[in-house]
Amino acid sequence: MQKDIRDNICDENLFSTLFQKHAKNLHDFLYYKFGQQFNAKDKVQDSFIKLWENCGKIAPSKAKSFLFTVANNLMLNEAAHQKVVLKFRQHKPKMHTNESPEFVMREKEYQLKLEKAIANLTEAQRTAFLLNRIEGKKHKEIAELLNISTKAVEKRIYGALKKLKEEIKEL
Amino acid sequence: MIEMKREELIKKWLDNELSTQEFEAFKSLEDYEELVKVSDSIQQLELPDYAITDEFLKLKQTMNLQSEKATTPWVKYVIQIAAVLVIGLGVYHFTFNSDDQFSTLIAEKTTLELPDASEVVLNAKSTLSYNKRNWDSDREISLNGEAYFKVSKGKKFTVITPSGSVTVLGTQFNVKQRDNLFEVICYEGSVMVEYDTKTEVLKPGDNFLIIDGNYIAKEKETASNPSWINNESYFSSMPFEFVINEFERQYNLSIELQDIDLEQRFTGSFVHNDKTLALKSITLPLNLTYSLKDHSTIVLSRE
Repeated sequence: MQKDIRDNICDENLFSTLFQKHAKNLHDFLYYKFGQQFNAKDKVQDSFIKLWENCGKIAPSKAKSFLFTVANNLMLNEAAHQKVVLKFRQHKPKMHTNESPEFVMREKEYQLKLEKAIANLTEAQRTAFLLNRIEGKKHKEIAELLNISTKAVEKRIYGALKKLKEEIKEL
Repeated sequence: MIEMKREELIKKWLDNELSTQEFEAFKSLEDYEELVKVSDSIQQLELPDYAITDEFLKLKQTMNLQSEKATTPWVKYVIQIAAVLVIGLGVYHFTFNSDDQFSTLIAEKTTLELPDASEVVLNAKSTLSYNKRNWDSDREISLNGEAYFKVSKGKKFTVITPSGSVTVLGTQFNVKQRDNLFEVICYEGSVMVEYDTKTEVLKPGDNFLIIDGNYIAKEKETASNPSWINNESYFSSMPFEFVINEFERQYNLSIELQDIDLEQRFTGSFVHNDKTLALKSITLPLNLTYSLKDHSTIVLSRE
């Protein structure tokens, strides 16, 4: 049977599908852009609530850009003027360490430098860079996600890598 | 081997697009180790988990949605996805509607053809919908139930269900079927080729070539995609007739041959956007010359 239906986000199934599709991407994007002290999970929830409240007015094809814009704005209000921090996982103590104490300390120092350097990247560079390095997203995918050109993505990621490398050397 | 600038090499590395040779060049960069160290260390960043199902339940509670009837739990949906080669052109349906929706009843099955000739078999009591108009750029299907997919060549193919989504990631393969030549090359993922009574599964780099009904063994393909995508046709030890045929297709010209052996092997390439250069590329290596007979015909002859 074939029916043509008018899409409506107010339909539970469609709304649920939209959540499946966008929630994690949105969450990770907020995390990369704003760092860890702001509750990305909450902002994702808030954005979807807003989407539901306006479900009759938004076309499904516009849902993604709506969610990202709303979430970004909610975050900006809270994160204004605050420094971005992304932390490293706590170094798990190994059972049999064949690394010298000096090596472990140098690794910790390196990580701290890297943390600082990441916080110093521009939001644009950091977001694109982390989406590429941590999630393994292709330049093209990131371009689609952020609504910019592939060339712009390449520039941001390359710029980020260059900056990080230089800053770590200097610190 | 064109020398890649340092920046280009690094950019390709970041996008995971380096060929084996390019990777060697990358490894020999002065700061190779520093770059790799930054990249590896990034993996140590603490990324908070995002449990989609839990978060969605939380959302529903917050929004006080009507709860599902107690008798319909989340059922696990089984989806099998296979990438099967499809020869030929699909028929494109253009409409101005939004989503098309298909549903089956109990004990009913149905087969659908998607706008790009991908095939879907829908099992009983299932619903499927997709946007016909966007299909070329966004192959996404919403599914509630069970379906079997045969994905034809194209962009990423995603199936979204209320419980989770599945993506056929870059199954990239090239199919060439021209007159008496049939060739399949797999660039990513895996592809099963069926030709006559032969069946073969190709992994990236593998190719399958039949000319005049004969299976031809070839070396592994090292490029990450076929050259013609980048507007250049490349041939490796191919009978000249195929080179000519492809040239005619790319330039919409007719080629007449005078006393030339069509079976002789040609290795080389020609670009798609410079007729003169292309003609030189296919004539000089074989000691041939060309002349223009009229505005749509070129004559090739021996020097």
